[in-house]
Amino acid sequence: MKKQKHLIKMVCLILLVVSLGGCWDKKEIERNAYVVAIGLDKGKEASLKITYLISNPEYGSIQQGGSTNEPPVEIISFETDDLVSPLYKANAVIAKEISYNLMKNIIVSEKLAMEKEFIRWMYDTTKEKDIRRDTYLIFTKEDASKFILENQPKLETRANKYFEFIIRRGIATANIPDSTLHRYLRITEADADLFLGIYATTEHEDTDQSNKGDEIFAGQLDTTGKTNKTQFLGSTVFKEGMMIGKLTAEDTRISLLLSVAEKSPPMLISFPDPNKKEYRIAAKITQLKSPKVDLKMNNGISKVDVFLPIHMDILTDHAMENYAKDTQKREELKKYIENRFEKKMMKFVTRTQEEFKADPFGWSLIARKKFASLPEYKRFGWMQAYPQMDVNISVNITFGDFGRQSRLPKLEKVRD
Amino acid sequence: MLGDLLKKAFSSNKKSNPFHEKSNKEEIQIKEQKIHSDLEYSMTIFKEIYSFPDNKDVKFRTFQIGGLKKQACLISISTITDIKLLDEYAIQPLLRNDNPSFSIENVLAVQALSTVEYNKDAIYEINKGNAVLFIEGYTKAYSITAANFQGRDVSNADNEIVLKGPKEAFTEKAASNISLIRKRIRDENLIVESAVISKRTKNELFIVYIKDLANKQLLDNIKKRVSSLNVDSVQNLALLEQHIEERKLSLFPSILYTERPDRASAFIEDGYIVLLMDNSPDSLVLPATFWSFFHISEDHYLRYIYGNFTRGLRMIAIFITLFSSSIYVGITNYHTEMIPPDLLLAISATREKVPFPAIIEVILMEFAFGLIREGGLRVPTPIGPTIGIVGALILGQAAVQANIVSPIVVIVVALAGVCSFLVSDISMNFAIRIIRFFFILSAGFFGFYGMTAVFTAGLFYIVSIKSFGVPYLSPMTPKYTSSKDTVFRRLLKNEIFRPGYVKPKDMKKT
Repeated sequence: MKKQKHLIKMVCLILLVVSLGGCWDKKEIERNAYVVAIGLDKGKEASLKITYLISNPEYGSIQQGGSTNEPPVEIISFETDDLVSPLYKANAVIAKEISYNLMKNIIVSEKLAMEKEFIRWMYDTTKEKDIRRDTYLIFTKEDASKFILENQPKLETRANKYFEFIIRRGIATANIPDSTLHRYLRITEADADLFLGIYATTEHEDTDQSNKGDEIFAGQLDTTGKTNKTQFLGSTVFKEGMMIGKLTAEDTRISLLLSVAEKSPPMLISFPDPNKKEYRIAAKITQLKSPKVDLKMNNGISKVDVFLPIHMDILTDHAMENYAKDTQKREELKKYIENRFEKKMMKFVTRTQEEFKADPFGWSLIARKKFASLPEYKRFGWMQAYPQMDVNISVNITFGDFGRQSRLPKLEKVRD
Repeated sequence: MLGDLLKKAFSSNKKSNPFHEKSNKEEIQIKEQKIHSDLEYSMTIFKEIYSFPDNKDVKFRTFQIGGLKKQACLISISTITDIKLLDEYAIQPLLRNDNPSFSIENVLAVQALSTVEYNKDAIYEINKGNAVLFIEGYTKAYSITAANFQGRDVSNADNEIVLKGPKEAFTEKAASNISLIRKRIRDENLIVESAVISKRTKNELFIVYIKDLANKQLLDNIKKRVSSLNVDSVQNLALLEQHIEERKLSLFPSILYTERPDRASAFIEDGYIVLLMDNSPDSLVLPATFWSFFHISEDHYLRYIYGNFTRGLRMIAIFITLFSSSIYVGITNYHTEMIPPDLLLAISATREKVPFPAIIEVILMEFAFGLIREGGLRVPTPIGPTIGIVGALILGQAAVQANIVSPIVVIVVALAGVCSFLVSDISMNFAIRIIRFFFILSAGFFGFYGMTAVFTAGLFYIVSIKSFGVPYLSPMTPKYTSSKDTVFRRLLKNEIFRPGYVKPKDMKKT
């Protein structure tokens, strides 16, 4: 009897515990509206205008009981003062609970990013627990709300897939930098280097493209045909959490090559043939090792020596020079490319020193090692010292292969 | 008020002897007596005990022994005795004998002969299928071993199927089961002890072990436990298992039940003790650890790599069975950020039109799957395939089309169901299937946190329980010297130790 009594008490207690606990943050999966991207613009009355790109889970599903005729996405914009409160405000229109679980992209208009206040709103992302640190930051030429509306991927059924694919591919081809929320916050807080954000637009800009090569921004690449208007190309430059400029695709690549934070992806580039300037050579460059950056500090002016080893595969040979066969021509080509690279890089470094007054290469990480303690490093003030530094870049090219078939026929022989 | 109700519900009925029982003290007294020298008197007693004319298959054969010129009576139950044997080797030699000075032992040409002195022993022998010979003027009777019970022949194992290795299985005849074990272990140290374990039916239990291997303490413990049973009848080992196990309410089985003689012999050779019984086409192996339920004999018959491959599959299958449904519930209710976006959207899309919360949906499907499984088990063979098709069609296809469950739940539950079949031991199979519901509930209430808590508590429990003094997870934890045959097995040449936790008298196998 006594044992049974205890048993009953125990069972009751356990049942009570179950009823007390649990289910606090239980959310049935289908009762959420999944935001794929949020857009941020400057508001007219409130400080921000937020745009939600909400994915329709039923769209594109071929499962039984899952397919639908509804549109793929739902887009809503309204004004707000922060990133957290609109979660509930949006429910005036959206039937389901807004969830940031799928939110992997924050799209910000250039105009807002250039605001001094921008950093204040970015720190909202650290407060809301559902926002991930690996969320991509995309900066658009036009308003983010317009960008989201105009962006119409042709083949990617779901918006989240489109953003994931195009950004990953863009990073892999070095068209855009790897710009995540985490990196933005880290670089801003370290207060030494520049942060590069992804630059994108749906607006097409008519420019003269001839001989510009990669010196273009998003929106400047001429495309025709039946495709999406959106372009992801180039980067935006942030200093102390605020946007201060833009980099072309080429400058973005140079900064990736010189960066010590991580290795840059392989890139496809083209440059004029040294022997016949009217033809261009296409090449694939691979960074085998991250650049060796040496920092020498004398009181007053510091000196930075950068040694950049690059592996290069020559892909085309329009001038029919047969570089694979001729050692001397190859030597000449090597010299020419090294020279060209060094010049271009130096030009860019000088620009960062003069225009941005800080570096996007993460060299401060090297500088940190030179000091015994953090206060010493802080006293040195990397960002203040950088514009005066004497930077010296040397590039070393090693050739890989010269195409699948290295030899080309003599043009004179073909055309006799 | 609630307390009063509970008290009433649990208060025991204190009236003594509510049954109208009838004492058979007299009969017991007669049975306790020695065999009377007066044959006439004895026969009257026995005819009464066996309700002679009513009980059709009890035979009293009265005849005069040649030479001796004495009346004799042979009592047997014809349905369980070999009548031909009795006729040829017992009755005929006695009738034809003309030598006046001879001993009964030398005339009876039967294989085994023993004498009994008490009525109750004679009754016991007759009930066992033997024939008992009473002779005028003798105060003892001869029991002639002539039992011939009907039963199946040795046939294939139905439940523990292997592709490679012996196919024989135990049958309902204990004698042939022992023969199957002796066939595998030709060792004079292999002991087959017998013990009567029930009061009325007198069921006989055989305890099989190797004398110079099995631990004495363990053996005594088991003997004590089977001899202290106080029941009228234990029909077979499945019932005996429930009588002798330590934790009768535990989810986990503590005695291994196998129908394969090769498996039983392998355990005997490792120092375990095996119980056999008539009417049981199987054996009990004790003590049992978690691993003995996890393993099957084919693991060792297959080559090292193949055997371990199936072991790996089985271990994964256990985890899939335990966790797949609960992970689905946990993820869809609490941890949506953990799954890839496309899967999240796919689940969300299919859940859109489903009327129930995820946990109800899963429990519904689990319940339906359980029904199909139990139904399919009991269905007569000719309509067996039909129920499979109906079950799969209705529950899989139609339920999804009717938007009662989402297709992903069908996948999750079906996967868990299929994986549960990899654990071939029926007790462990049930244990895992029941535990799965705990995980589903905990995931429904607390998400992964709850699952982790239940898993941890379960681990505590499984480590704490013992089977006949042997920790359940040994030799993994606590550690014992053994061949380390746990999740994976080792090469045969490296399996040189007997399991240390059964404390065999000889540790090394080589």
